[in-house]
Amino acid sequence: MKRSNAWHLRDIILLALIAIFCGVIFWVIGPLYNILTVALTPVGLGPAANDILMGVWCMAGPLAGIIFKRVGAAFLGEFLGSVVEMFLGGQWGASTMISGVVQGVASELGFTFTGYKNFNWLGLNMSVLTTTIITFAWDMARNGYASYHFGLLIALFIIRLISMWIFGGLLSKAITNLLDRTHLLQAQTR
Amino acid sequence: MNPTLKFLLAVLIALEISFTSVWVINVVLAALGLIVILWHRTPWKRVGLLLLVPLIPATALAVAMLMQGRGNNNVHFAIVLFTRIYAYVFVGSAATLTTPIQTLVMSLEQNAHVPSKFAYGFLGAFNLMPKIVSEVATIRAAGQMRGQVLHFWSPQLYFKAIIASLNWSENLAEAMTSHGFVEEAPRTHLTVITTSWWDWVLIIVPLLLLQVGLFAIPLP
Repeated sequence: MKRSNAWHLRDIILLALIAIFCGVIFWVIGPLYNILTVALTPVGLGPAANDILMGVWCMAGPLAGIIFKRVGAAFLGEFLGSVVEMFLGGQWGASTMISGVVQGVASELGFTFTGYKNFNWLGLNMSVLTTTIITFAWDMARNGYASYHFGLLIALFIIRLISMWIFGGLLSKAITNLLDRTHLLQAQTR
Repeated sequence: MNPTLKFLLAVLIALEISFTSVWVINVVLAALGLIVILWHRTPWKRVGLLLLVPLIPATALAVAMLMQGRGNNNVHFAIVLFTRIYAYVFVGSAATLTTPIQTLVMSLEQNAHVPSKFAYGFLGAFNLMPKIVSEVATIRAAGQMRGQVLHFWSPQLYFKAIIASLNWSENLAEAMTSHGFVEEAPRTHLTVITTSWWDWVLIIVPLLLLQVGLFAIPLP
């Protein structure tokens, strides 16, 4: 099957809608992050809340990647999601866009490494891996992870990888399995 | 100030303070952001939330650094992380709270030359926001009627949301096309957003001052 890489109005709207839907669903669990952080802070593990939920925030990228199966989908899905979050009243304001770009590039890279040929388990897992590594490197600078002692650093990385794999990997795959059964996507994204 | 340049400035500042550790600058930036926010008559409740909510991640990062850090000046770095969060929040909100999304998208289309199909496609989808919020509530309620609780980790929740998106995107794209929207066609604009020399001064001068504060003057 020959795939087109061009973005048309309908695809752009669909992608934005999916990103917004994800944003709204995540917005519902916003309090969860604060509760987790408060609970973990007294033992000095507050940042772990960030890693536990990272998969949920970075899900739109891999999901958009395997739904649209074309260049730029993962980046746009993740980035548009962050823009939506920014205007929904996310507390970070314009800084959200930086995270959006970092996460978007990170999840896109996974598909790039497969040469945009594999949009199945391999591509998805690559995307999960690149997202984990790059967002973690970013947090090492931005949130000062680089100064933690080594054991904690490894633990946080593993937590983030598992979270990414459950949401970006397993859940995205489960969603597309359901979608494949409807045969709606083949008709839509030619 | 030109919306595109305003966001660019906020993003560049946030990016630069992510890699530098001068807490005095963070405090100054947060204060300046707060002044801009207050100047635009942001409701007090909103300002209060902006002050309170970041306290959670800021404290978490600072406490973690004090307890788990391995350097010799953990205290200094904890203060840097704490103030950095506030600088992010206030600089970032100074941009978002003073710019409606429509203005930003229009400016991105006209000044940053983002293709109009992306600008209008995104805007169209964004304006469906109230429908999306109620659709999520409907999907969850429909699930509950059949004794099915849909959590944020349930594939069915996303599946149903995507099916709705497929439907709406088709309708919206058709509606826009029938109103005369052509993807690559040149467009004229009702409101033309310009970039004056003053806008460039407003982005270059603050950035220069930031470099002086970060690198020329030895601040803690």
